[in-house]
Amino acid sequence: MKFFHLCTGLLLFLMAAALPCHADAEDQASDMLDLDFEIPEVEKKPYTFRAELEIAETVKSLDESSLLFYQKYPDGRDDTTLWETDLNLTLEGSYRIESVNFYARLKGGLYHTEEEDWQTDDLTEEAYVSLQPNPSIALDAGKKVLKWGKGYAWNPVAFFSRPKDLDDPEASMEGYFLASGDLIKSMDGPLKTIAVTPVILPVSSDINDDWSAERELVYGAKIYFFTWDTDLDVMFLIGEETRDRIGFDFSKNISSNFEIHGEAAIVFDYEKQVVDRQGELSADRYNALNFLAGIRYLTEGDTTIIFEYYRNGQGYTRGEINDYFDLIKTGYLDYLDSGNMAGLGLSREQGALYYNQQTMMMDYLYLKVTHKEPFDILYFTPGITSVYNMNDHSLSITPQVTYTPITNIEFDIKATFVSGRGHTEYGEKINGSKIVASTAFYF
Amino acid sequence: MKKILLVVFMCLCIAAPVFALDGNEMLINVDRNLNPESFEMYRKLINIEPDGSKKEFVMYSVKKGKDKIASVFLSPASEKGRSTLRIGDNMWLYIPNVGKPIRITSLQSVTGGVFNNSDIMRVDYSAEYDCEKVEPAEDGHILYLKAKTNTVAYDKVKMWVYGTRLLPDKIECFASSGMLIKTLYFKNVKDFGGGLVRPAVIETDSPLYKGYKSIIIFAKVNAKNLPDEVFTLNYMSKVESLRQ
Repeated sequence: MKFFHLCTGLLLFLMAAALPCHADAEDQASDMLDLDFEIPEVEKKPYTFRAELEIAETVKSLDESSLLFYQKYPDGRDDTTLWETDLNLTLEGSYRIESVNFYARLKGGLYHTEEEDWQTDDLTEEAYVSLQPNPSIALDAGKKVLKWGKGYAWNPVAFFSRPKDLDDPEASMEGYFLASGDLIKSMDGPLKTIAVTPVILPVSSDINDDWSAERELVYGAKIYFFTWDTDLDVMFLIGEETRDRIGFDFSKNISSNFEIHGEAAIVFDYEKQVVDRQGELSADRYNALNFLAGIRYLTEGDTTIIFEYYRNGQGYTRGEINDYFDLIKTGYLDYLDSGNMAGLGLSREQGALYYNQQTMMMDYLYLKVTHKEPFDILYFTPGITSVYNMNDHSLSITPQVTYTPITNIEFDIKATFVSGRGHTEYGEKINGSKIVASTAFYF
Repeated sequence: MKKILLVVFMCLCIAAPVFALDGNEMLINVDRNLNPESFEMYRKLINIEPDGSKKEFVMYSVKKGKDKIASVFLSPASEKGRSTLRIGDNMWLYIPNVGKPIRITSLQSVTGGVFNNSDIMRVDYSAEYDCEKVEPAEDGHILYLKAKTNTVAYDKVKMWVYGTRLLPDKIECFASSGMLIKTLYFKNVKDFGGGLVRPAVIETDSPLYKGYKSIIIFAKVNAKNLPDEVFTLNYMSKVESLRQ
């Protein structure tokens, strides 16, 4: 079966290498320039449709000496290289009848791993109806993504969203079932725009059940101000079971190539679940302050730098993480000694619920540097991303290359490497390195 | 002698509509000759590589007042639904997948190629620049423009305008260091209806992108009344609904 994965990877590579040649051959034969003033897109249709097909091959090299490897594979593995093939189809469409618009984004996946063989996965990421009688008022109801915040890698004020994937912060996400609105007022004077976005999110065993175990109604709002060339938002969330929270964010362009942004939020009476090295679980209650400060800077040489500091007030301290890693280590040694899986099982349970998440500790730096079209290679963008855990000095580094030589086809290859000592977040990651090659077709 | 004085007087009368204007007034006239104050338009952007291969984008845009413009990409499929908003020196990009507007800067480019965001989301020149000097040129004038703030993409601009209609012919854009960043050429004057006669093609090249060219083709420009609320972050995902 490894032969199959190798073939898929080789195919992706050959496609990336061959297509630019094809483009040259095709375009050199065409006329230099045809100034066609007829634009078919001018004709408006009541519907829109867009599809994306992505083929990806992932190679993961497992770190046999990491604690998370012991936790998952206490008996070890013969082969420490994992291959995965993904085929994802995203369909997105809308239909408008006067001031009412229906929108849906569906995702279907077919993936193959050596452990699970072929599996399918499908998901309705968004499906909602919008009513917009005029540009000042809008009402949306259904499954919808509401992304609040100005940060690139993290959004502590995104009260109604799922956490971003640090490996791909721009990836589409699954929404929640909710009703929201927009009331917008534009004015002359220093305050140019004020917009209110109220939200109601019902929680039951049928919908939004990952919010809380109890049935409840969560509501909140965001108020946006555009003043003095600055975006400002204040927001809140109030729930019965869900913890109340307040926050604000801002962003501003300092110059033609320099932007600053920030966010802060307080989660009131936050309950952090902490496991000690014996596996005893306890709750620590406090008002958690999360905040982020960042910049986006474009150099004269067309290099874009995104840099952010994130304080995760809900994260674990160095001592708490040490206890968790000790629990895994003790459980693993117990298993080796006696075959008793109790300790490892407990650590797996706590890991899945609380610990084995992205950004599990408190202070992080994020740096993304991309350079547009070096060596005059148009539509070619190399870049590098790094996430640094300031608490334990471990980090991940991800070089990446994106190439879109032909309209509606995008090639992407990225490799992630982690570095850190024992008992650190990245030092104990199960994947020592990961390479993902993908091709996306849009139509 | 009387004849000479008469000729001079007549020349002054003919030239008066132009010479009576100072540089900033001429700039306002250039803006109004390029587009109505509130309008919608369809544009095609073409990036051309040295080997002749092309990449095309189609955008629908609405503009109001001196400094508000919102656009949405209609094609290609990979860009469809992306929208941009500019209010004065502030610019945002909305990507459907990302799901929220992010601030962008004028020197970045949402399409790649020679055009940057400031070119694609162009507001009135008089909103961004003061005219420091006017010089006569063959069949027109050269306006020397200076950016009003440091958030404007080009620190200095040299604009050739011609004829009684005061339409631009060529624009050179300079960085604060004095380096030429790009040159815009206005071509193919076309009657868009409603009294609007303007160049339908803007071509650009840049010493920073040797051999590359980018072109904007204006396909349809119509005056349109638009509420201010269209030019807000909350409306960015809905710009396409303005199309008739």
